[in-house]
Amino acid sequence: MNEKSNKLKWHLLFIFTIGLLAAGIYSASQSINYKWQWHLVWPYIVDTAPIDIIAQSDASAAINAEGEITLTYDNGDPDTIITNASEVLVYDGDLIFEGDLVARSESIKSGLLIDGLYMTLKISVISLFFSIVIGLMTALMRISDNPFSKNLSILYIEVIRGTPLLVQIFIVYFFLGTIFDLDRFTAGVVALSVFTGAYVAEILRSGIQSISAGQMEAARSLGMTYPKAMMYVILPQAFKRTLPPMAGQLINLIKDSSLVSVISITDLTKAGREVVSGSFATFEVWFTVAALYLLLTSTLSWAIQRIEKRLATND
Amino acid sequence: MTNKKKYEGNDMIVTVDVDKIYPNGCHALKKVTTNIQRGEVVVIIGPSGSGKSTYLRTLNQLETITSGEIIVDGVKMYGGETNINKLRENIGMVFQSFNLFPHLSVKENVMLAPLKVTGRSKAEVILEAEALLTRVGLAEKMDIYPSHLSGGQQQRVAIARALAMKPDMMLFDEPTSALDPEMVGEVLDVMKSLAAEGMTMVVVTHEMGFANEVADRVIFMEDGALLVDDIPENIFGKVANHPRLQKFLSNIL
Ligand SMILES: Nc1ncnc2c1ncn2[C@@H]1O[C@H](COP(=O)(O)OP(=O)(O)OP(=O)(O)O)[C@@H](O)[C@H]1O
Ligand SMILES: [Mg+2]
Repeated sequence: MNEKSNKLKWHLLFIFTIGLLAAGIYSASQSINYKWQWHLVWPYIVDTAPIDIIAQSDASAAINAEGEITLTYDNGDPDTIITNASEVLVYDGDLIFEGDLVARSESIKSGLLIDGLYMTLKISVISLFFSIVIGLMTALMRISDNPFSKNLSILYIEVIRGTPLLVQIFIVYFFLGTIFDLDRFTAGVVALSVFTGAYVAEILRSGIQSISAGQMEAARSLGMTYPKAMMYVILPQAFKRTLPPMAGQLINLIKDSSLVSVISITDLTKAGREVVSGSFATFEVWFTVAALYLLLTSTLSWAIQRIEKRLATND
Repeated sequence: MTNKKKYEGNDMIVTVDVDKIYPNGCHALKKVTTNIQRGEVVVIIGPSGSGKSTYLRTLNQLETITSGEIIVDGVKMYGGETNINKLRENIGMVFQSFNLFPHLSVKENVMLAPLKVTGRSKAEVILEAEALLTRVGLAEKMDIYPSHLSGGQQQRVAIARALAMKPDMMLFDEPTSALDPEMVGEVLDVMKSLAAEGMTMVVVTHEMGFANEVADRVIFMEDGALLVDDIPENIFGKVANHPRLQKFLSNIL
């Protein structure tokens, strides 16, 4: 009973502290006369700007009782019938010239920030896949007895872990990109996968080596080949054991992906920069961008926790 | 002893002058020469570090040998073309620490190798697994994960798992040493029934009762060498012939 009310006290203190922090941020922005304009961010999340409908060539317009606009082209092109106009800018019988604004229609599109979020998600998911493939191959090479495989994997891991990701992105984009004619997106994926793959390799290697030697011996003594024993006995156990550090590394991947904005990939970070220069709502935009990253990373960590729980029921 | 089998007299495992020197320089086997015949049960005893496990593990090449020759069922283990995986399918092994696969259920443990290594159909493999688990008294535990089993039960699963490959011989490395005393019997019973069926068995154990009752031959190793190789009657009965063996037995009995 006593302990319970004690805990409650600390919960209240926590909420109070968070409130204090928020108030602090607010009053700090007041002191520099910052005017919060959250509504400026909204159009960059959901874009409701109407779409302009423009005449393809000279035509005459007819509007019927339902409000449908029919453009009959002078050059005999098939008629254009506009049924979804939210704002009509011509009159029945008007003569229209090529390039004239005929009407506007409503539209709901994802805003720039959401497009950026999608790009970040896309580049992260693809890189995640390749980094696990690269990491697994490297880990297997790293633990093999073959000096070629072993040294190659050590060299790769050391080089990648010893140089900054930003520099690697520039090298992939400007050097490899030029030689192999890679587009920005591919260059970004290559840089991120190769970078994360080195860390995944080390995580998997330690996971594999943490499985007792008896497991491999039991599998081999049953006549399984080394690859089969790896695949069916060692790796399933190693994967399970490495889930927590792996989650951390894959969350890092999502965050590291913000660096590809330097090669002009419009990911969430680059979108944030563009939106800031368009809206001048600097604080609001960066807070929003941070919240969107948090959404991605917390979803991933939630998903991995689910997998962990599922696998934990086996032992 | 009344339960000694008559075996046909053909060699199952032949080891000739086997030497094993570990990379760290430890000379674990010294000129070990012996023949194990089809249907024979051979028990290996000896003090800790005498090379019993090392010898057993050379028989399915979990350890490679430094020199000498091992011939299993007529196949030279170190002949150029020998497929060690094929050879191992025919040699079951049971470990002191069970080494069950913790991520698989009991039944899946038994089914894994037959499914992935042999060409048997899944339906067939399931039936065989169920029959084997019933045989070792674990029909009720098939869908449980190994960590929920007692040591004795785990070791019986391990035996069933090895038998699932339908081997012609079985190697046991101190199969009861990790067990609580009350569970030793249930594992030894399974092994006895295997012996009674004529399985060729090489067993490293400190269970002298088992050796005396079931073994056709007992081998005493010390310091990497095979010191005594005789029938149990002579090992346990005329122990005075072998002072080192006598000392070992008086220490453990
Ligand atoms: N992997 C290894 N590397 C180096 N030396 C080893 C290795 N395995 C065993 N040895 C050494 O080889 C010798 C024989 O060991 P082995 O395990 O075969 O003995 P054992 O008779 O099975 O003993 P125990 O009764 O303790 O199991 C010992 O001196 C041991 O230290
Ligand atoms: Mg041993």
